[in-house]
Amino acid sequence: MSAPIVLAEGLSKSFRVADKQPGFSGTLRHLLRRRYRDVEAVRGLNFTIQPGEVVGFLGPNGAGKTTTLKMLSGLIHPSAGRVEVAGCLPQRRQERFLQQITLVMGNRQQLIWDLPPLDSLRVNAAVYGIDPIEAKRRITELADMLELGEELHRPVRKLSLGQRMKAELLAALLHQPAVLFLDEPTLGLDVNAQARVRDFLANYNRRTGATVLLTSHYMGDITALCERVLLIHQGHLFHDGSLDALTSRLAPCREVRLELRQVHPREAFEGFGTIEAQQGHQVRLLIPREQLTQQVGLLLSRFEVVDLEVSDPPIEELIGGLFRQQG
Amino acid sequence: MAHRVRRYWRSLLSFWATSMEAELEYQLNLVIELLAVLGNLAGSLFVLVLLAGPSGELGGWSWNSALVVLGIYTLLDGFTSCVLQPNLSKIVSHVQNGTLDFVLLKPIDSQFWLSTRSFSPWGLPGVVAGVALIGWALARTGEALSLGGLALALALLVAGALILYSLWFFLAGLSIWFVKVWNATEVLRYTLVAGRYPISAYPPALRVVFTLVLPVAFLTTVPAEALLGRASTAWALGSLAAAAISLVGTRLFWQFALRHYTSASS
Amino acid sequence: MARRSVLQSVQRAMRIAAALLSSQYAYMLEYRAEIALWALSGVLPLIMLAVWQGSDGAAAAGLTPQGLGRYFLAAFVVRQFSVVWLIHVFEEDALQGKLSPQLLQPLQPLWRYLAAHVAEQATRVPFVALMLASVVVLQPGLLWLPSPGQLLLGILAIQAAFVLRFLLQTLVAMLCFWSERAAALDRLLLIPYLFLSGLVAPLESFPPAVRRIAEYTPFPAMVSFPAKLLAGESVEVGAGFLNIALWCAVLFPLSRLLWRAGIRRYSAMGA
Repeated sequence: MSAPIVLAEGLSKSFRVADKQPGFSGTLRHLLRRRYRDVEAVRGLNFTIQPGEVVGFLGPNGAGKTTTLKMLSGLIHPSAGRVEVAGCLPQRRQERFLQQITLVMGNRQQLIWDLPPLDSLRVNAAVYGIDPIEAKRRITELADMLELGEELHRPVRKLSLGQRMKAELLAALLHQPAVLFLDEPTLGLDVNAQARVRDFLANYNRRTGATVLLTSHYMGDITALCERVLLIHQGHLFHDGSLDALTSRLAPCREVRLELRQVHPREAFEGFGTIEAQQGHQVRLLIPREQLTQQVGLLLSRFEVVDLEVSDPPIEELIGGLFRQQG
Repeated sequence: MAHRVRRYWRSLLSFWATSMEAELEYQLNLVIELLAVLGNLAGSLFVLVLLAGPSGELGGWSWNSALVVLGIYTLLDGFTSCVLQPNLSKIVSHVQNGTLDFVLLKPIDSQFWLSTRSFSPWGLPGVVAGVALIGWALARTGEALSLGGLALALALLVAGALILYSLWFFLAGLSIWFVKVWNATEVLRYTLVAGRYPISAYPPALRVVFTLVLPVAFLTTVPAEALLGRASTAWALGSLAAAAISLVGTRLFWQFALRHYTSASS
Repeated sequence: MARRSVLQSVQRAMRIAAALLSSQYAYMLEYRAEIALWALSGVLPLIMLAVWQGSDGAAAAGLTPQGLGRYFLAAFVVRQFSVVWLIHVFEEDALQGKLSPQLLQPLQPLWRYLAAHVAEQATRVPFVALMLASVVVLQPGLLWLPSPGQLLLGILAIQAAFVLRFLLQTLVAMLCFWSERAAALDRLLLIPYLFLSGLVAPLESFPPAVRRIAEYTPFPAMVSFPAKLLAGESVEVGAGFLNIALWCAVLFPLSRLLWRAGIRRYSAMGA
């Protein structure tokens, strides 16, 4: 196995936050004697990432995903622990480190607002020291992959959100970085645009072998792109592995959907498993995996079942449930 | 090393090309800027005439010499509008919008980026008017400046510009800590109008303030004296030293500011 | 019946005014630091005082150092409390479509901006007082106490000058509906304000011809008139206030006209 491209050991970050009470007396006290509170955003993360992997960081708001990404890109100094990316210490922000990484944020942009993307691309080409002819070739190739054409000639403010995000990706990838840090890249995009961005990222990873680290609220991003998921909850690394493994771990239950010929009262289904929903002829139950066969058999014999479906509960609900119970 | 210099030079050219392109969309601006510069100049000349009174002197400076000071002020004001204001006033919006992160991740020194990223052509009328006024006033004195004297005068002008840059940079950089005082640079601009007149026109107490606290003396009066061929060694050396110290100061300040930003931001 | 409806509308107006002013004041308090700095940027009259005091031109115009001191200090106070920044916020709001929700409410939006200005003035008071105090500490001879009558007239004159400036800038601000660069036009208006109002040079120092031309413009009413009142110089009070009233009488209907035309265009363009 080749050397990992991202290495995190005991990575922690805590922030000192001023503790201010509301109201006038609080303001006065704050003026005279500051009191601080330590907020631990990230605690003791340990993980390694091999070149070419596509890894997703999952977690609710405030879990520490963006903080972790910023520590990996060198924008924040860790409070404790060690982090190494592409053989460099990110916080030193050495030139050879910066040439190998890129950061794309879904809620902020780096393209010049009033000018066409091509102008921002020209600036990036100059900044990263890319020969103009080579830059042109790369732009054509990436624009092709991203399905961008005349949009590159229109001012950024006149592009739709989806087109803008695609142009942002182009600008971010012009210097062919080895590591991509993506913070909520499909934020606010419509379903089509989201799908296109996901397809592009998967395609890009396959073609160039670039490592992709991505945070997202949308499970669709994670399920479509990431073979590996790092779930961060309250600053800790809760899970490091595949999505399937996470599902099995979080959901000892499977979801059974029944459509019945007659309407039965809710109480009739208690005892088979947890009732998720019951409306008219439709019932949804959560049944522990070990008892699945037995309970399904009992249901089939007890009721007149028109249709039956067994599936995993949606991962969003599982994760949501996890955060709700531990939060 | 040469590759690095070439990269920075290429970046600078592309910064200014794209910046001007964005600005030149608004052509009405040129007319308004020209009118504003000419109007301000006319008004300042008028006030200078009133101040000089029948003796034609202000603070021991002849009316003509005072024009040189006014010309340097106009030149520096144009420089501020071209380079300082469009760039440094953006630092606070970078901090507020989180786009400072993008600047920090580019393989180019962040102070260089933040100081040179934009160029506004609207300051150029001021620069041209300032140079024209200086040239006209010098021609009227009828004295010629030696080559060495000219070199010294140019060096002192550059020193003044660097001191001005350092003042602006320091105030704009404070927005890393305090976003609410973003208009500190505006205050600077309004107080530097004192540079319109030679500092001997001010009472002695203010002269000290304008040398040590708000170094207006180094900005306009000292280069003017050099251009008029009466540079004093002490002041010239002081100006050059102040410029060097303030430039180094901005570097240290920025590194300090970045350390704070990268450990505090979430 | 008719009298009660007048009373009701007055009561309604007072209620709105109270609500606007208190909310704007709370808003401005949040921006104390910024406002303090804006107050600090009003030092120009103090700088000009320093230049004028030693100058030959002052002596030639018969201006005594004490008279100069009072005049410029008064001009400083006048400028602090008559500053108008409507054009900047209005342009931003108009261009970003923030006017639209305001237009849906039964209140002329310009009243909001006026309330904001008044609230900002109130927020400035402590900082201006601090600046005056520091000037007086440095040069104790400068301080004087105007008589109650002078003080009252002075404050009235400052507020009248403020209303005049506000109306003038309203006129320019209306151009925002037609051009994206109306704020730049205001910059041009700043030039005659600076030089003809008496802010940088007392009108006494002007050559007589120039002085007569200046007095045909509204600018001397904005600084010179209220400053002289505060400084205790002899000035034609009635004529001065009448002058301001006449200018307002011209500017007010003009701005109303432009407002109506502008709003029609704003709604037509898609607010």
